[in-house]
Amino acid sequence: MAGKGSSLSHYLNSPTLVVIVFVVLGILIARMLGMSTLDTLMTIMYFMGIALSLNIIMGFAGYVSFGHAVFLGLGGYAYVLLVYFIKPLAELQNMGFGLGAFLVAVLAGLFAAAIAASVGAAVLRLRGAFFAIATIGLDFTALYLMKAIVPELNPEQFFGAQIILPADKIVEKDVVFNAMFLTLIILLAVNYYIRKSPFGVGLTAIKEDEDAAEVLGVPTTMFKIIAFTLAGFFAGMVGALFSLNGGGVDETLFNLGHSIDMIVMIVIGGLGTVLGPVVGSLIYFELYDLLLVHYPGVNLIILGIIVAIVVLFFPEGLIGLLRKYKVGGVRLRDLLE
Amino acid sequence: MEDILVVENVTKRFGGLVANSKVTFSMKRGEVLGLIGPNGAGKTTLFNIITGVYKPDEGRVIFKGEDITGKPPHVITRKGIAKTHQIVKPFNDMTVLENAMVGALFGKRAHQITIGEAKEIAYQSLELVGLAEKAEEFAVKLTLRQKKMLELARALSAEPELLLLDEVLAGLNPKEVEEALGIIKKVKEERDLSIIMIEHVMHAVMNIAGRIVVLHFGWKIAEGTPEEVANNPEVITAYLGDPRYALRFVKRKGGEGDGSS
Repeated sequence: MAGKGSSLSHYLNSPTLVVIVFVVLGILIARMLGMSTLDTLMTIMYFMGIALSLNIIMGFAGYVSFGHAVFLGLGGYAYVLLVYFIKPLAELQNMGFGLGAFLVAVLAGLFAAAIAASVGAAVLRLRGAFFAIATIGLDFTALYLMKAIVPELNPEQFFGAQIILPADKIVEKDVVFNAMFLTLIILLAVNYYIRKSPFGVGLTAIKEDEDAAEVLGVPTTMFKIIAFTLAGFFAGMVGALFSLNGGGVDETLFNLGHSIDMIVMIVIGGLGTVLGPVVGSLIYFELYDLLLVHYPGVNLIILGIIVAIVVLFFPEGLIGLLRKYKVGGVRLRDLLE
Repeated sequence: MEDILVVENVTKRFGGLVANSKVTFSMKRGEVLGLIGPNGAGKTTLFNIITGVYKPDEGRVIFKGEDITGKPPHVITRKGIAKTHQIVKPFNDMTVLENAMVGALFGKRAHQITIGEAKEIAYQSLELVGLAEKAEEFAVKLTLRQKKMLELARALSAEPELLLLDEVLAGLNPKEVEEALGIIKKVKEERDLSIIMIEHVMHAVMNIAGRIVVLHFGWKIAEGTPEEVANNPEVITAYLGDPRYALRFVKRKGGEGDGSS
């Protein structure tokens, strides 16, 4: 079919997709060749995952959320509690080379999404700084709720909000890797789809001017809630698999610091693009490591200064900056999504 | 011909301020209706009630026989009413074409058209208003006149049956006003539109509107053909104060005085 051939070449001409494919293949190859430890790759995928999930609400719709770690934590707790208390699920997670764990993570993600939808319906009425402040409140609410509720669930075994999964309820790290890998690919696809769809155009209009968007026919309330729910769902999945990888969960997953990490990653990379969170999370990962190794003690201070410089002078992030230029008569904004 | 829009007894209060008081009028399909009145008369509030941005405290808005009072703006847009903003609200970091695409994607045929089709509709609207060469520019780079035309193109991309124009001519020089009027007339013919326009550029609205509704302190004080309205003593008082001086002014200018002067 001629049509199929031309559309294939069209896709090959899109550097965005090429970069995505390279990153995905890179992770896979690095793993097969044993070039990085599984833990390193898990951390990279975890960073990318949380950045891409936050991108859906903050990047596309422009709602700066300091509460995204809530969904990370809820997903983590949901997963750990599900396999702790429900035996069939504990068995399921070992099946299908990671597919089972993936499915349990979907359940955990759905739980996070349900909370995101109901919380979102309320807090998404706020705008700008007020929304951001409300989401900080979410962080602390979730944190103290977990501290109060979790010890009651199994008073003999749970001390504080920490839950450690017993050996028969965890899975091999290989299996977790596969589940996380699958999640990441879906997350990339969802980001790319949003970027290219009417839904994404509507979200961008909301980011630019919400009132004008509504008058032009964008169902702003519904779109915002869908974006927030999707973001919560994927953060929940990533949090679930991250917790499984760590063999348990504790309340530090709700730390405001995690929320800020994600924000920094997508701001460095470029808000509202697909490449931005991918590139941003890789840069952040490298930067974080480098600074920790070479300047222990002051590493976070240096990181903070770098972030301040980026926000002051390149608020559109690396990809956003590149999109302004032309290379050989080709506008990069047509190429980099 | 059927009434495309009926506004019935619409009252809107903001605290103690009454922005619209029992405003009633109707318009036929294909009509161009001018909505005039001094600053603060409640014209923009009335537009916001018709498009659903505000809910009226009393009264109803009926579009094509259907009561649309208090429906959310995006629903009303889909039914076929589009509006331009008095204070332009372009999506600055989107291109001109993308701006117009938002109108097409979420307008009358929302969820029924692809991105590609929306691009085509958007481009046609840009051609109509003379912005086609600027399609790939970012909206933030446009001049005020171009931003006003972009407002118009965005509204047209929604493929409305009723178009509400909120001071599209304000801030333009006389030559630009003529151009813009030409565009509006052309669009009206080509798309068989009904139009309500709020305008301070008096000769322009007299020139294009078949009928005029005058608001003052939220009340409808007059309605009729441009000539009738221009000679209505109450209208003259509202605009210019003392009728004796006003009459002299109107006679000298032949009824073409600019309301803001």
